[in-house]
Amino acid sequence: MSAAPTRDRAMDEAVIVARDRENVVVGNEIIRHRLSSRVIHWCVAVTFFACLLTGLPIWTPAFAWMAPLFGGLQVCRWLHPWAGIAFSLASLVMLVAWFSEMELRPDEKNWIGPRLFTYMRYQGDDAEIGKYNGGQKIFFFTSALAALGLLVSGVVLWFPLRFPELVRELAVLLHDVTFILFAVTIVFHIYLGTAAEPGTFGSMTRGTVTRAWARLHHPRWFKEVTGLKK
Amino acid sequence: MSVQNLEISRSSASGLFSSGNATGLRTLPTVSKYIDTSTCIGCKACEVACQEWNDLKVVPTSQTGTYQTMPTLDPSFWNLIRFDEHEVEGGLMWLMRKDQCMHCAEPGCLEACPAPGAIVQYANGIVDVNPEQCIGCGYCATGCPFDVPKFHATTGKMAKCTLCVDRVSVGLEPACIKACPTGCLHFGTKDDMVALGNHRVEQLRANGFPNAALYDPKGVSGTTVVTVLAHGDHPEWYGGLPRDPHVPIGMKFWKNVVRPLGFVAIVGAVVGAFGHYLNFGKKEVKGAADSESNLPQA
Repeated sequence: MSAAPTRDRAMDEAVIVARDRENVVVGNEIIRHRLSSRVIHWCVAVTFFACLLTGLPIWTPAFAWMAPLFGGLQVCRWLHPWAGIAFSLASLVMLVAWFSEMELRPDEKNWIGPRLFTYMRYQGDDAEIGKYNGGQKIFFFTSALAALGLLVSGVVLWFPLRFPELVRELAVLLHDVTFILFAVTIVFHIYLGTAAEPGTFGSMTRGTVTRAWARLHHPRWFKEVTGLKK
Repeated sequence: MSVQNLEISRSSASGLFSSGNATGLRTLPTVSKYIDTSTCIGCKACEVACQEWNDLKVVPTSQTGTYQTMPTLDPSFWNLIRFDEHEVEGGLMWLMRKDQCMHCAEPGCLEACPAPGAIVQYANGIVDVNPEQCIGCGYCATGCPFDVPKFHATTGKMAKCTLCVDRVSVGLEPACIKACPTGCLHFGTKDDMVALGNHRVEQLRANGFPNAALYDPKGVSGTTVVTVLAHGDHPEWYGGLPRDPHVPIGMKFWKNVVRPLGFVAIVGAVVGAFGHYLNFGKKEVKGAADSESNLPQA
């Protein structure tokens, strides 16, 4: 703190600290995501929605009403692959930046299965949950895989006549199935990050959470950050 | 803008998930283009007629060692005579076949197309493109078993034989048929052209071509264009005509199974999340320490 400049009383201490530090306590709050993390996340989110909104009207005529959002279906067809490139790059940056924090511990393997359902029922013992729970870590890796699958199949769909017929058919199916599975996980990602768990959305905008939020959702992280035993 | 005095039986991407939007008001006699490869002399009058009627510009090509004008169809070249030499015992066969859109009864291009109304099928069997709706995605090329759809280099729009829908709609025969000097091309109802074809096939079989057949593949529920092949057991000799063309199974599976299931899955996830919230509520701290909570203090 020795290098901290003097501040007006009006400045928000936590937000300023959160510009470059995380996993530290500031007043009544704990900084969970520093600025660069939040920027990376929102780049991925915004490019995801750009792909989603330009891709859905192409995907099914039931969403043809969305095509005028971008000026018509031809614009969607032109824009969607470029949005896809942006999404792939943003996802790659996120994969590299957060990889070290997402290593799945052996005792977290059961999150692919019964532990996930227990968690969704707001039951189970969360005492060992660190900064990210097993479900979040698995979501991180499935999202990275999904982004890769969408990119590879997307390139074939972008330049279809340069690829043989069978490759084109497989690409259509891969792009579709990957998108569907990804979209289902994203629905729950957004739900859990907003309505289901109050205080979470602020962690990705303001960058901070309350002590009580940390104690409830990520007890082991709370102990590590605050140095408290309970 | 589709040709207004023709009835539409199917339009791409115009149902909830697939094709639809039949106008269902009038019945039209089906049309058919009859091609007899056994009497074609490869004069290319039909190629010229198609270029002239449709105001298609001259396309640069290259000499590949045959009389064939282009290696393949082109967005500005919708009708191509294919020249294929095939050696048999005792000689050489020089096979010529008029290649263009087959106007399938079950058009793979229309089924694959994701742009509403970009490809339409008229009640008389003609399959046509509305370029204003076309988004140039190329799915139609993946759906077509005959490798017909081609795309303009800069606008990306798909273009192909229209079966001279603008002529047919006012009672004229297609330009290619009008131009043919040998009478190997005919135009009429599907029933009449099939009868003509079967008659010709019988003649060929009685005169040294025991495997002559009429090419009208059932895999696409039949085609508007019916072709007499002297060597009907080897359609692939005639410029790669597929033996058993059908709408690719991957495209059918995608459109009719994966997409509807996926739609249900995603909507289901949203409904599920809402249902979860109704049933479980929020996961939050009850007590004084949580400043986010607006529950009453215990």
